[in-house]
Order: sequence, then structure tokens, then C-alpha cells
Amino acid sequence: MILSISDIKIKSKTLQNLKIISVYLAVTLVCIAVNKIYAIFGHGVSSEAMTWMFLYPLIGGILFFLMKEIMIPRINQDLGVRAFSNIYNAGIATLTVGSFLKGMMDIAGTSSPYVVFYFEIGWLCIVCSLISLIICKLIHKDSKGHKIT
Amino acid sequence: MIRFFMKPYRWAILFSLLLVGSVTFVLLDTFVIPKSIQKVVTNSETQTQNTTKSQSDAVVTATSYQDDNIKITIETVQKYNSTIYIADIQVSDASYLKTAFANDTYGRNIKDTTSDMASANNAILAINGDYYGFRDSGYVLRNGVLYRSIARKTGDDGALVINAAGDFSVIHESQVSANSLTADISQILSFGPSLIENGQITVSSSSEVSQSMSSNPRTAVGQISSLHYVIIVSDGRTSASTGLSLLELAQEFKERGCTTAYNLDGGGSSTMYFNGKVINNPTDGKTTGEREVSDIVYFGY
Repeated sequence: MILSISDIKIKSKTLQNLKIISVYLAVTLVCIAVNKIYAIFGHGVSSEAMTWMFLYPLIGGILFFLMKEIMIPRINQDLGVRAFSNIYNAGIATLTVGSFLKGMMDIAGTSSPYVVFYFEIGWLCIVCSLISLIICKLIHKDSKGHKIT
Repeated sequence: MIRFFMKPYRWAILFSLLLVGSVTFVLLDTFVIPKSIQKVVTNSETQTQNTTKSQSDAVVTATSYQDDNIKITIETVQKYNSTIYIADIQVSDASYLKTAFANDTYGRNIKDTTSDMASANNAILAINGDYYGFRDSGYVLRNGVLYRSIARKTGDDGALVINAAGDFSVIHESQVSANSLTADISQILSFGPSLIENGQITVSSSSEVSQSMSSNPRTAVGQISSLHYVIIVSDGRTSASTGLSLLELAQEFKERGCTTAYNLDGGGSSTMYFNGKVINNPTDGKTTGEREVSDIVYFGY
């Protein structure tokens, strides 16, 4: 069987998409599990931050997938795309961890002045990643989107 | 540099390490690392002389204490599927109602057990306080000294004020600044909610501390009349004693004629110490034994 270059690219892209979906889905499930386990030992005390923290990887993952598919369907190895992916993922991870910490503090009945930084840095990462994505899109505006470095 | 991070997994590994490191720091800072802010200065000489004089004449039993200045009786009641310890206290002067910090130090994560603090301060009867050191806000005024004037912004903001005459009142931190309070305030305890104000129950069946479950170990303090107080501690989170809801707790104070009653830190912190030993069964539901806390409220010399 002879595979053409475009076939290999499609197969590689499909694998990459599967990887993205499975990682974000796994993190979402871990967040739900952590909340449930924490609830068992929390004497009935709950926290909205802990309950809803799974939404960061879930919605973040869906948006990430859509943005990659809609805005940059054929630009996979570009430096800008790589930067977008790294910073965006870091932002989602920071927001999720921040939400977990906030939930922990709420349940314990305490607080920390540092938790707010997780949300600030998380959203800053998301904004930066979107800027890098837009820049990347503008750079490749006139090309056919076949750039593979 | 940028190219370095563009290689697969390098950014992910580095960022994960940063995240784990920062989380470790935040957790240690919040729950473990002691931060001493101010040492308490006490007049121990006067204290010792008074203690020796009055306590030598005391009549002490397993459930009572009486001397010239302090009269305490302890009653243990089974109610609401819970074991409830009720102390009735009468003193001749408000100065016998005191508070103390763990290690005589105001700060965060400075902790000790209620019994150790009580023993160190020659307390006759002691309970855990508001665990102020676990939070960054809520007024802290103890034995006439204002240590923290940051008002609570979220949730219930009622604080218990005990004036120099030993009378209780409840203020709302969002409405009254700590610095505006007059000089005759002895103590401010910041936990809540208030259970009784002006003789009326102020909680309902749906009232809860934060989003806690309805039945818990509890610690609360109330006033019947001038220099006459009630302290209630309940065991909880066990099959033998499930614990009280805030409404049940308030009803107990109401039945005893309290005009003001206020809920203090509960759960695993709930501890009652009397005549040298802990008389309730402190538990956080997982392990038994006293939890270390920031402060105590006690009667003694």
C-alpha cells in the first residue's frame, strides 16, 4: 500500500486531534473525580470553585480544538501555533489549579492571598495565546496554509 | 530560547514543575508555615498571686468548681442524638473571662491544643476560640489589645464583642470598624454566626457556617445576665454523637435564658477543658483527639 504525503498528513493530524481530545477529557474526568473524593472527606462542606473546576478543561478543551480546527486547520508546526498551544494549555492548567486551590481553601474555611494570582496568570496566558494565534493567522493570511517547518 | 521550548514536552514539563512548586508553596504558606506577628505581654506576677490565693479555697468535683470568685457547673446531656456538654459559669468580676493565644503569640499557623493553652494559663474552664490564625480577615481583639482590624468581606460578618464589664454584644464588621470601637472592649471573637441577639434566636434550620453540613461538633458561648455565662460544646461526626445544627444549638441557649449567644469554631476544633482535662471527645470525623488551634476562651485567674 502506498500512502501519499497528504494521507500521512491527515493521519498525523487525526492522531494529534485524538491526543488533544483525550488529554483534555482525562483532565476533566480527573477534576470531577477529585471533587467527588474531596466531598467524601469534607463532612458535607462543598465549594463552588471545586465543584465547577472541571469546566476549565472541558470548555477550554472544546475551544482549543475548535480554534485549531477553524482558524488554523492546516498550520500545525508553525512557531506561532506552537506558542499558542503551549501558552493556552498553560493558562487552562493554571486556572484549573487555581480553582482547585480556591476550593480547598473554601472547604477548609481559610484563604490565601496567592490564589488570586492563579486566576490572573491563567487568564493572562489565555489572552496571550489568543494574541499569538491572531498574529499567526495574519502571517499566514496570504499563504494557502501549507507551511510545515 | 524560544526554539528550546518549542520542542515537544519541554514547555509542558517546565510549566508543570512550576505549577507543582507554586502549589506546594501556597499550601505550606496557608496551612503549615508559622508566622509570628506579635508576642503577648502578660503580668504573670499578679496573676500567680491571685491564683494561689483564690484557688487554694476552691471546692472542686468532677463536674463543678467553686471559689470566692468563680462558680462553674458542668452538665452532660444526651439530646438530638448528640452528647452535649453545658457549662454554667458565674464570676464576681469580668476579668476572670479571658482569652489566650497559642504560645502567647499572635500570628498565622501558630497553634497549640486547647488543653495545652489552658494548662499554660491556669485555666479552670477553657474552650477553643475562633481559630483566627486560619484566616486573614476578621477582627481580633484580645484582653484589650487590637491585633487585627481587617473586616470580613464574605459570608456572615457578625463578631462577638465582650466589653470590660463582661457583657456580650454582636456587631457586623462591614458596618463597624474595629478602630471605632471604644476603649472598654476586652475581647472580639470573629467566627459566627450569632445564635441569639436580644433574647431572640437569629439562626434558622437552613443556617450554616459557610457551606458546612447541618450537624457538627460545636462550640458556642452565651450570656444569661451580667457575669453569668453558658458555654456549650457538642460532640459530633460519630455514630454515638452526630452533632448539632446551629438552630438546635441556639435553642439550647434559649432554653437556658441567654440573651446573647455566639457560635465559635467547631468541627475538629471543638474542645472543652475543665479542671485539668478535656471532658468532651474531640474528633474531626476521621481521627480522634484534640486539634491544634490558634486561641482559647477561658475562665481563670
